[in-house]
Amino acid sequence: MNDISSNAIPAQPRERPSTAARVGIGGPVGSGKTALLEQLIPRFLARGTDLAVITNDIATKEDAERVRRSGLIAPERVLAVETGACPHSAIREDPTLNMQSADDLDRRFPGLELILIESGGDNLASSFSLDLVDYWLFVIDVAGGDDIPRKRGLGVLSCDLLVINKTDLAPYVRVDLPRMVREANEVRKGKPVLLTNCAIGDGVDAVVEQIAREVLFDR
Amino acid sequence: MTDTSTSLALLQFGDSFFPSGATSFSWGLETLRADGHVTGAAEVETLIAGQLRQRWASFDRPALLAAFRAGADLDRVAEIDRELDAATLAREAREGGRRIGGALLKVHAGIGTPGAADYRDRVLRGDASGQMAAVQGFLGAATGLDETTLCALSAYGLAVSAVSAALRVGLLGHVDSQAILVRLRAVVDEAVASPLPAVTGVHAYTPMAEIAMMRHETGSGRMFAN
Repeated sequence: MNDISSNAIPAQPRERPSTAARVGIGGPVGSGKTALLEQLIPRFLARGTDLAVITNDIATKEDAERVRRSGLIAPERVLAVETGACPHSAIREDPTLNMQSADDLDRRFPGLELILIESGGDNLASSFSLDLVDYWLFVIDVAGGDDIPRKRGLGVLSCDLLVINKTDLAPYVRVDLPRMVREANEVRKGKPVLLTNCAIGDGVDAVVEQIAREVLFDR
Repeated sequence: MTDTSTSLALLQFGDSFFPSGATSFSWGLETLRADGHVTGAAEVETLIAGQLRQRWASFDRPALLAAFRAGADLDRVAEIDRELDAATLAREAREGGRRIGGALLKVHAGIGTPGAADYRDRVLRGDASGQMAAVQGFLGAATGLDETTLCALSAYGLAVSAVSAALRVGLLGHVDSQAILVRLRAVVDEAVASPLPAVTGVHAYTPMAEIAMMRHETGSGRMFAN
């Protein structure tokens, strides 16, 4: 009879995973998902992370083209997935085409370490399938209103990392940022919340560190 | 399989909750709507009926049934798959068939359907195309469906994905969608009873949808993959 509490299995040296870590970036329309992506890419490349990107545009390939033309990353490392007017479906109920694209990137780029998967803009109840990603971020912004965290949307509650973007706009849209952050921390019960201004990159280093710690481990 | 387990398999694989990637494909409808060729429920119904009569019956169905009859003979399935791939003219139709077939294979490999992982390896090695009808045919045999049930699953899948795409782009409402699916049953009956060509003689005539998919390649509106 097997004794699951025994230490019979010797510790194995950690092997490099055969596929890249997959990190989702979701959130409402206009919250700054693509802007965050553009700030993350150069930072991961500077760390020496072997990186690729998948975008899920709503109606065009604009986000994919924007990232390809940015000069930040080789264009062939950026894939676009069409969502059939259902962005949440493509990352949750039926993520098969995103998984297919990620598998394709793994095959095309041996040694790939990280795939960032940007969702199409959606609502506060969107979330990622855990078959698709190892870790996911939800991006909201202060201009969407300081009541967003306390509405307890599924995305805000269940993501691994909540990013509150456009912090610089708080005084102009009459948002009480400290209260917004306090309520975000309360509803998330201790799961991490980070603040960014992706227009100039404020706070993005902390997002990179968090992702690196959680999914890249010792890489 | 018992009647109940066949019915349960049909319900599972025919359910839009079953992840097949089909949500991302409109098979020309996105462009036909943008170009003003399809403007409402009646035209959607005509379009789908045309797809069933003039494409599915004589193009997808022969490959579906040949792959079903090939069963575990994956070399034969790969031959059928190649024929189907070579006969599909529009690039986005050909790539769409491969992407959906590939998605279906991955899910079936994940749930342990016999042959799915082996055939997926062939597709990944480039030894097979993974076209939807060929994949669905041999998976139908592997999951214990019969030919009639498999044809119903395939034809209904085509109809419901087209109606669903039409609903999402605002061409019709939910009641119209269901009414169309009820009326299309007669069209499916007729298609199933039509003469069955050999796999080497598959043919289709749906020029508007084919041209729409070709135009979609360079179109600016892209909610769908074709």
